[in-house]
Amino acid sequence: MSPKEPMDTPFHNPGWAGNTGEFDLTEDQVRGDDFVGSRPLAGAHPSSSASYPYVLVDKHPESPLFEGPYRERFDKILTRYPDTRAALLPVLNLAQEVRGHVSPETMDRVGELLDLEPAYVRGVVTFYTMYNKRPVGRFLIQVCTNISCNLCGADEVMDAFLRYSNTEPGETSEDGDFTVIEAECLAGCGFPTCVQINSRYYENVKAGDIPSLCERLRADGK
Amino acid sequence: MADHADLPETVTLTIDGQQVTVPKGTSILHAAEQAGTQVPHYCYHAGLSAPAMCRLCLVEVEKAPKLLPSCVTQVAEGQVVHTQSDKSLTMRRGVLEFYLHNHPLDCPICDQSGECKLQDYAHEEGRPHGRVREPKRVFGRDDFGGDVLFYGDRCVMCTRCVRFMNEVEQDPRLAVVERGDRSIIDTFFDEGLEGTNFHGNVVDICPVGALLSKDFLFKQRAWDLSHTDSVCPNCSQGCNIELHTRDNLVQRLRPRPNLDVNGHWMCDEGRLDYEWINRGGRLEVPLVRDGKEFHATDWKEALVGLVRELGAGPVRALVSPRLSNEDLGAARALVDQLGGGDLVYRSRRAPEELVLKGFPKLARRRDLAPNVNGADLLGMSRVGDNDGTGGLEGLASHDGIVLVVGDDLEDQPPTFGKEAALYVFLGTHSSEAASHAHFTLPLTTFAEQEGTFTNHENRVQRFWSGLPAPGAARPAWLILWALLAEHTGQTQPTRPEEAFVTVSEFGDVTYETLGKQGVIVTPPTRQEPAGAIGD
Ligand code: SF4
Ligand code: SF4
Repeated sequence: MSPKEPMDTPFHNPGWAGNTGEFDLTEDQVRGDDFVGSRPLAGAHPSSSASYPYVLVDKHPESPLFEGPYRERFDKILTRYPDTRAALLPVLNLAQEVRGHVSPETMDRVGELLDLEPAYVRGVVTFYTMYNKRPVGRFLIQVCTNISCNLCGADEVMDAFLRYSNTEPGETSEDGDFTVIEAECLAGCGFPTCVQINSRYYENVKAGDIPSLCERLRADGK
Repeated sequence: MADHADLPETVTLTIDGQQVTVPKGTSILHAAEQAGTQVPHYCYHAGLSAPAMCRLCLVEVEKAPKLLPSCVTQVAEGQVVHTQSDKSLTMRRGVLEFYLHNHPLDCPICDQSGECKLQDYAHEEGRPHGRVREPKRVFGRDDFGGDVLFYGDRCVMCTRCVRFMNEVEQDPRLAVVERGDRSIIDTFFDEGLEGTNFHGNVVDICPVGALLSKDFLFKQRAWDLSHTDSVCPNCSQGCNIELHTRDNLVQRLRPRPNLDVNGHWMCDEGRLDYEWINRGGRLEVPLVRDGKEFHATDWKEALVGLVRELGAGPVRALVSPRLSNEDLGAARALVDQLGGGDLVYRSRRAPEELVLKGFPKLARRRDLAPNVNGADLLGMSRVGDNDGTGGLEGLASHDGIVLVVGDDLEDQPPTFGKEAALYVFLGTHSSEAASHAHFTLPLTTFAEQEGTFTNHENRVQRFWSGLPAPGAARPAWLILWALLAEHTGQTQPTRPEEAFVTVSEFGDVTYETLGKQGVIVTPPTRQEPAGAIGD
């Protein structure tokens, strides 16, 4: 099979796992962009209602926990576990989906909902790095700086993101758009440097791609 | 007691070359204790679950592929365990080196120094020199509220404190937050431990100086303290405790394990209420009143003078539930000798019990004195209100013999006992209401004498003397029996164990049979108010 012409991507890089041209697929198809937002708000079957994040919402740090379709998803999550302690992780996911980050008030509220001590909830939240303990920007950019990515220029990518957003690691840019942090291995070692932006992976990212990537994020909102 | 069929099966194994036979299901750690070997451990505590996470109690077991955590591994027949083999020791040395990696090594300013498990183990088995060249991570300290101060850098992450709050106090206010080398014990932000009634125990069980008592902070060095077995005098639960004393003062109280009474724990109120034992201004010599004047005298003169005045007559006596059984027994014997009369006591009563949920046998009981049941058992009756005041109208104006033992009469007017033909006051402190006493005799506190208390379930428990008596102060039983000896001309008890067996209610129980754990003499007569959980 002769290699096809490389596909016409919006920019040369970042690439994605499919852009060697071997498959006749668009970037959106490969990225699985289709699913985003297409799940019913109420979260469908209980087995999938906790997964994160199926629904894009306007996150607000003071949104109620939980109302409307989110209350339905919350109830469904509870049906999947023998006790509320076991349901803590998915409920925290849901809370983060609604509020954008898990603040002390959120921990307290989740503890109240599940009848757990707030200190215990805090212990769990702080153990997992994927709960944001502080507010983050519209785009949470996680740059893998673990070994493979690091060998292929992750530090420069990190720097480029920081320069573009004019922030320090963990800070949110003034316009509220970007928060850049380092991540340990994202399991994309075959495609360094791997960057996760909100829930999507961007592979083969080079420092030079950052401005156009960020522009596109701003423009498309995803 | 147990039926032979119920006898647990036993297992015989070899630990460090020594054969031991222990009940089936025993952990290697406990079996080793019986063989005389202490296996170092942090996370394991007899009163808590065993998560086997500190990795310090790993021992070599022959035929096992790797070292096994001795705190959770049950003994097996014919097992051969080496706690001191090269493999075990090398492993422990390595683990200890990790424990010291971020430790600030600030023993000279640490209260735990001298009773610290990290210090002990590192000294016994650790490396003589550290190899760390990297900077240490620093947490600083945090106020956990209540009596507890947290020094984050000293913590070894054994989670004993977290498990205590989860399992025993059952108010999980402590948690491990963050992860990796940033893990730290914390409460929910500013929540703290205030409002919990048993949190002082986390200070006791913390194997290192990470959790410290604010009350004891920088007060004494641990190795300077003398330890005396005693019984908590602050409620009728009668928790077994140790008095830690120095400079003739009680410096702190610590629980002493007794699984029938308090497990390994004690309450915060009881723990921190010891300053009254140290109160100064004590009565130190017998005083005899002559008109308005009091004359200091010696015991002989006081007692001989007192016996001379002791005509038979209607006696009314006020005793105190803070007195020992021996004291109460002697007071009753004296009253009987004088022809009988009323014996009453007053006691403070808290509005409710404070139960330790994970060990419901233990509760801060409503009666805030150690020997209310002893007084009841001896047929004395309670008067006054729940503050331990009032109720003495008849006694205050009685015109026969008035005998006050151990009650300091602080709420009574100076006219107390004015009408009495003979007013004898035995106490630790004088008060206005004692100004009409013909004889004022100095008493010791429970900390200065040996004796027994009867707790809420009529368990009689011994306590020992940890402090010297001030001046010529004597235990009440000794004074009263001496009086009786003088009065009757017969020999009377001169030692506490003799005084104890004169009390017929205790049957054939003696100090020997009481031992350190105490004995229930009769089922309790008074029912504790409802509200206790479980047994
Ligand atoms: S504070 Fe003390 S008891 Fe609690 S985990 Fe640390 S070392 Fe253990
Ligand atoms: S429960 Fe009672 S006996 Fe026990 S420590 Fe508290 S006050 Fe003392």
